[in-house]
Amino acid sequence: MNRQKLEAELSYKFEIENLNAWFGSKQVLKNINMKIKEKAITAIIGPSGCGKTTLIRCLNRMHETVPDAKVTGRVLFNGVDVYGRDIDPVQIRRKIGMIFQKPNPFPMMSIYDNVAIGLKLNGVKDKRKVDSIVEKSLRMVGLWDEVKDELNKSGASLSGGQQQRLCIARALAVEPEVLLMDEPTSALDPISSAKIELLIRELAEDYTIIIVTHNMQQAARVSDYTAFLYLGELIEYGPTRQIFENPKNELTEKYLTGGFG
Amino acid sequence: MMDNYRIRKIKDRLMRILLWSSLIIAMIPLFSILLDVFINGARAINIDFFLLPTPTVGEKGGIANAIQGTLITLGLASIIGVPIGIMSGIFLSEYHDSKLSQPVRFINDVLSGFPSIVVGIFGYVLIASVIGFSVIAAAFSLAIIMIPIVTRTTEESLRMVPVAIREAALALGIRRWKTIIFIVLKGGRKGIVTGVLLALARIAGESAPVLVTMGYWRWWFSGLNRPASNLALNIYLFAISPFENWRTLAWGSALFLILMILGISILIRVLTRGKYE
Amino acid sequence: MTRLIDAGLEQVKNILLRMGNIAHEAISISLKGYIEGLSTYSEVQKISDILIITEEEANDKIFELIARFQPVASDLRLLKSCMKISYSLARYGRYALDISQIYEKIDGLALCEDWIRNHIIEMSEKVLKMIQISVELLNNRDINEARNLSEIEKQVDEMYFKYLDNLMDKPSTVNKCIISSVLVVRYLERIADHATYIGESIFYIVTGEKIILR
Repeated sequence: MNRQKLEAELSYKFEIENLNAWFGSKQVLKNINMKIKEKAITAIIGPSGCGKTTLIRCLNRMHETVPDAKVTGRVLFNGVDVYGRDIDPVQIRRKIGMIFQKPNPFPMMSIYDNVAIGLKLNGVKDKRKVDSIVEKSLRMVGLWDEVKDELNKSGASLSGGQQQRLCIARALAVEPEVLLMDEPTSALDPISSAKIELLIRELAEDYTIIIVTHNMQQAARVSDYTAFLYLGELIEYGPTRQIFENPKNELTEKYLTGGFG
Repeated sequence: MMDNYRIRKIKDRLMRILLWSSLIIAMIPLFSILLDVFINGARAINIDFFLLPTPTVGEKGGIANAIQGTLITLGLASIIGVPIGIMSGIFLSEYHDSKLSQPVRFINDVLSGFPSIVVGIFGYVLIASVIGFSVIAAAFSLAIIMIPIVTRTTEESLRMVPVAIREAALALGIRRWKTIIFIVLKGGRKGIVTGVLLALARIAGESAPVLVTMGYWRWWFSGLNRPASNLALNIYLFAISPFENWRTLAWGSALFLILMILGISILIRVLTRGKYE
Repeated sequence: MTRLIDAGLEQVKNILLRMGNIAHEAISISLKGYIEGLSTYSEVQKISDILIITEEEANDKIFELIARFQPVASDLRLLKSCMKISYSLARYGRYALDISQIYEKIDGLALCEDWIRNHIIEMSEKVLKMIQISVELLNNRDINEARNLSEIEKQVDEMYFKYLDNLMDKPSTVNKCIISSVLVVRYLERIADHATYIGESIFYIVTGEKIILR
């Protein structure tokens, strides 16, 4: 019994407790409590401005990089509060990668450097090691065969979908445990989006993935768990199947069936 | 219906003519100056012009010493002014939530509006009056003129780098200072280079602060703590001199100064060009 | 390109195949028991219950795929048809149980004349053949085989009516035998219908055309 309980607790990557967040005086997250399973895909859905993006930005302490932003509450990552007193946010961010809405490869940097820069600037000097991690990361996102002969070309020369996969490879290169994805396909065409979704599913074998999406069908397709956020509050959270087939909350039902507002 | 369309079309055409003619009017002085400088300056240019120092009255001579002095002075001014300017620009752009940034920006704006002769006198009081008229005093004054220009353009070009790029780097667990130096600065490089060149062009043409900090010097460079010859000052002094050969040299110097700045601009742009632009 | 939905579709297909094999087994057991005079009720009941649970499982999975992926075109046809097929497969199990129950409640063929026995054996063989074809169709989706099912179904139908005619011509037969055999023949005819439904569903999956093979 105890052992089971212990195991159940260990398999949570994040435990969010009483999380509140503000921009200036505007409160964008209200008392969020949720536990996020390890090596699973958790989707966060909700209408624009409901705090989806802020929620994931609180997990890797990116929220506080915006002036006037404030956070209270606890976010346990592997059981350790990322807002603890002796915690270096930079160390946290190394373990929690982030993918953004618009593909944002570093301009004026080659494909190779885009992937390698995180390692290089974090002190990995061994060229052979960097080479092998770059190749491994590009392979994981299915980009290696497409770019292996033009690693010196600019990252910006790739198509939108390729750029986004490059950004995922860049995040993977620093060997994180978690990938936070902020609407990763909203700037992409349907084919590129489908490729990214497939990739997300594959990555969930080894990583804990949290994906914010305004596209609820995407949440339905890729995620194992879904959280519905509305006006900064966590309205409903559970297995994706249950949320989409049999939501318990009336607001969730309304949002999913398009009867909102 | 038809009439309306015709009227709009006429208005459109009138507007276009107006804009074009404004452009041409603005260009006339620029091109007439350039033309004058080229025609008169070209007559002054020969081998001696580049190899000999300032002549005495009626003799053969050139501007070799002035080129040398100018390059040294500009170089020293840049060594002082460019790093300070770029770093202040980084501060203003990357730490804009700091309480200091507003005052710094204000001071910078005031500084850029200072008449250059005032800056020159400042350099005189602070340095020239202590160690004497010298390259150091001139370079110091010119650096002060450079700083606000470089600061402003650095700040602006760094702000052009999308926030998304900074966030991407921070989210990779790259420290803020490394993010700024290795990633943000790379993105804003083009704008910063433009700012530096703008500042360089501006101080290359300054004569007033040079006059009060270094004075006039006809001979070769002989040490940073002594004066050196200077093209802009030469143009000013030679142009108002009664001697024919000096006036010719003034034209030649003007042409050379223009070409030199053009040359430096091209050179720096080529040298600092990234691979992926 | 592989798609996210593909893994789910594969799962559904595997559930149906599993159901098909179990259903075939259930009917074989109950028919064999009926013909040879063995009690199979409890055994077949277990299998039939499994089939009903598995049908629910298949439908849940199909439902989930619809909710998650909003399938269209061939995917949508496939899922709609799979729902129907899973129902038919579950019915196989129920009919198997019904046949076992007849033996239990009434009797087998012990008191029947040889011609009755032979008729039922022959019909059983045809029906088992149809079930086998219908299960194989889940995998190979062979339209010609689906059409073939309708041929056998016609024969089963004919045998069914012929049996009823024969019985009326020969009033000497024992009552128990008449009631038992008529019910079994009736169930065999129903099973053949469901095999044909599966054939129709497969035809629809492959071509998008709705046809009636019966």
